[in-house]
Amino acid sequence: MVVTEIISGPLSSFSSDDSRTNEGAELVFNGRVRDKEDGEKISALDYEYYEGMADSELQNLAESTVRKFKINDLFCYHRIGSVPVGEASLHVAIWSKHRRESIDAMDYFIKELKKSVPIWKWAILSSGERVPSKCNHN
Amino acid sequence: MKIVLKCFSQVKYALNTDEMMIELEDGQTASDLEKIIRKKTGEKLKGIAVQIAVNKEYSDGSTVLHNGDEVALIPPVQGG
Repeated sequence: MVVTEIISGPLSSFSSDDSRTNEGAELVFNGRVRDKEDGEKISALDYEYYEGMADSELQNLAESTVRKFKINDLFCYHRIGSVPVGEASLHVAIWSKHRRESIDAMDYFIKELKKSVPIWKWAILSSGERVPSKCNHN
Repeated sequence: MKIVLKCFSQVKYALNTDEMMIELEDGQTASDLEKIIRKKTGEKLKGIAVQIAVNKEYSDGSTVLHNGDEVALIPPVQGG
């Protein structure tokens, strides 16, 4: 099963699931906002997205990741709007029979998300100025 | 024909708008639109690669545009 959602506001976590007796791996990733952007102090990142396209690209990517790897479920929340330093902007949970499949799928999913899902960061500098982020880690 | 250009990130910063209407001639392509925008923004988009989306789907630059199409020049995405 695949669950994806783009959310405005703080993310809640997917619950750990003790009923999954056939799955030995439950892998959770939280991406958080760091306090510096291109060496400069920031107070938040403001995530912009292409409504109607980012949603479908994220869902398509999650579905293709489940098909590509031996994983059972992939759940993903991506936050948009202003995300203060320290808070999570991305929450992903993957379940699989063994850990390697989950770890490989997580790495693939996040790398591809950073290539194809139309979401961008604007840095909110300490001065209050809002500028496009120069961050392009993949 | 009229095309709606959606602007994000560096493209929005360069054009200082979320959205604009562009008048094109029949038969013009997504690449033609990109050239027009790069000319319009001078040096501001120099060195910034863009992908092109037509009606919210990634498209090739050779895609012929039609009246009412929504086009976005997608600068490098930064989710996560």
